[in-house]
Amino acid sequence: MRRGLIVPVLACLAAATALAATPYARADFKAGNVRGHVQQPAATPRDAHRPSVTGLGQTAHAPIDRSHAVVYIDAAPRQAFDALPAGRVRLDQRNQTFEPHLLAITVGTTVDFPNDDPIFHNVMSLARGNAFDLGRYPRGRSRSVRFDTPGIVPVVCDIHAHMSAYILVFSHPFFAITDDEGRFAIPNIPAGTYTLKVWSELGSADAKRITIADGTTLDVDFEVSQR
Amino acid sequence: MRPVLAMFALLLLPASAAAQLPDHPISNADGTATLGAEVSGSVSRRDNVAFFNYTDYDNNALRMARLRLTGEWRPHPQLSFLSEVRAGTNANVEVAALFARWRPVARWNFDVQAGRVPPVIGEFSRRAYGRDNPLVGIPLAYQYLTSLRPDALPATVDDLLRMRARGWRPSYPIGADTEAPGLALVSAFHWDTGIEAHWASDHLDLAAAITRGAPARPVVKETNRGLQWSGRAAVMLSAGFTAGISGARGQWIDRSVLDLKPVAAGVSTTQTFVGMDAAFERGHWIIRAEFMHVTFGLPVANAPTFTTPLASNAGFIEGRYRFLSRWQLAARAERLTFSDVRGTLFGGAATPWDAPVRRLEGTAGFRLARTIELRGGYQYNWRDGGRIRRLGVPTLQFLYWF
Repeated sequence: MRRGLIVPVLACLAAATALAATPYARADFKAGNVRGHVQQPAATPRDAHRPSVTGLGQTAHAPIDRSHAVVYIDAAPRQAFDALPAGRVRLDQRNQTFEPHLLAITVGTTVDFPNDDPIFHNVMSLARGNAFDLGRYPRGRSRSVRFDTPGIVPVVCDIHAHMSAYILVFSHPFFAITDDEGRFAIPNIPAGTYTLKVWSELGSADAKRITIADGTTLDVDFEVSQR
Repeated sequence: MRPVLAMFALLLLPASAAAQLPDHPISNADGTATLGAEVSGSVSRRDNVAFFNYTDYDNNALRMARLRLTGEWRPHPQLSFLSEVRAGTNANVEVAALFARWRPVARWNFDVQAGRVPPVIGEFSRRAYGRDNPLVGIPLAYQYLTSLRPDALPATVDDLLRMRARGWRPSYPIGADTEAPGLALVSAFHWDTGIEAHWASDHLDLAAAITRGAPARPVVKETNRGLQWSGRAAVMLSAGFTAGISGARGQWIDRSVLDLKPVAAGVSTTQTFVGMDAAFERGHWIIRAEFMHVTFGLPVANAPTFTTPLASNAGFIEGRYRFLSRWQLAARAERLTFSDVRGTLFGGAATPWDAPVRRLEGTAGFRLARTIELRGGYQYNWRDGGRIRRLGVPTLQFLYWF
């Protein structure tokens, strides 16, 4: 279980909300960007099936892409909360896999969980503050959850143990998921000094202290080492 | 009892410590070998008289600790070898499953399994373990020990009637003179040895097997040179409804006993099984039902005797409702009946060959974590025979799996 990781990250995500109440030094909104690259270790096949000894045949599922990471600042200035882009996003269930495997959203966002498989799925999470159980539903049906608490939400299918996904819920918009090459970009961060962090399922990386100056773009690279 | 206590010591683990336990199967670097486990511990009051919950595993299903280790090695995408090693309260270690699974054509949903394989009949038979069973108890049809033994036979119907409600330790004049438990209608804990094939589509599921034993008497080593033929066909509707029919026929009496008691021509020595199962799964509900008609051919040569096979009907309906993410409620109602025979006992009246049993059980479960569950419940049994005819049993269960 990933509680050892989840607890400190949760604390960081919550800290963002707490710091938001602190008056920010700059009255005007000057912003810069941060971009960079996250070097990840090779993914291990943690999505292996539980040995299906009671089964009468093979069950096949698509491999899980665990190569992405989320880069985020651990606390944001007050003005970051004025207008959070809370909308709707999809987390599909297809070929007994959640697609995408990793989502990053702001609080208030609603996630739809459509089932595209010919079998029933039961999406659920026991994450503190974001626990839900959508029950069993068939192909063509979708159920939704609105996430109102910052934190990491491990999502599983209660029927198919090899199905897993992560949703990171932030109380500010300054985060990005790395692309297939590991690159990320977080635009329009209010000028100031922050701690930039990486969340990865495959390991951990040291946080970096960054200072964003108005109109500049900062390059920051991370190397995730395997736990 | 110590293993049970040890199991429940896990309950004292703080939640944070429990959360450090793995919740995914362990696999090697390339994912071709995986290891899973289930640890379960159940406690309830002692039952050394009525034996309502004793199993052919020689222990009380409501008072036992069990470790299951399951492994799969897949050297080729279409070929895997699976095994389960089990250790229980009585400290015995058993290779409960060991078989190869082969998918001849990758894009066909068709598999062949050979070795000590899971049963194809019924629905509960493939989910007898903690995680898949919403209650602590096992359905009567799969657990309750009837008075029949494969290694010892009654000489008369009266011998059989004397053993009513004594399935925990029936004894008969022909065959083995050692004490041993009787047979459940279908064994949920031991698997048969042979070969089976399975094909499934979105709406149809077919399975057939040829194995060595009988539904009540799965074997590894040959005991009677008989074969069991079994099969199941099920339809799955998109509404979440599944309905299946099953059938099986196999030799249940050991050859060593039949050699002692020459069987008259036309007298059956086989067990036949005909079953129906249905399941409805939708939202937070699961409702399942199963009914079976089982007959045992039993050669009894001395008067008073009978000619028809002994029959038994068993059925249950169970439901589970999950709420607030971590909680679930489950209940099961069931009945096990037996056909009448007539001897000189009971005033010569027609009497069921074993004592009919009814059972009600309810359980509340709480998930401490995704793969850790605590359950508490109550089971009540009624039996039309035996020294103890009614018994209520509170139960507690701890489950952990990965």
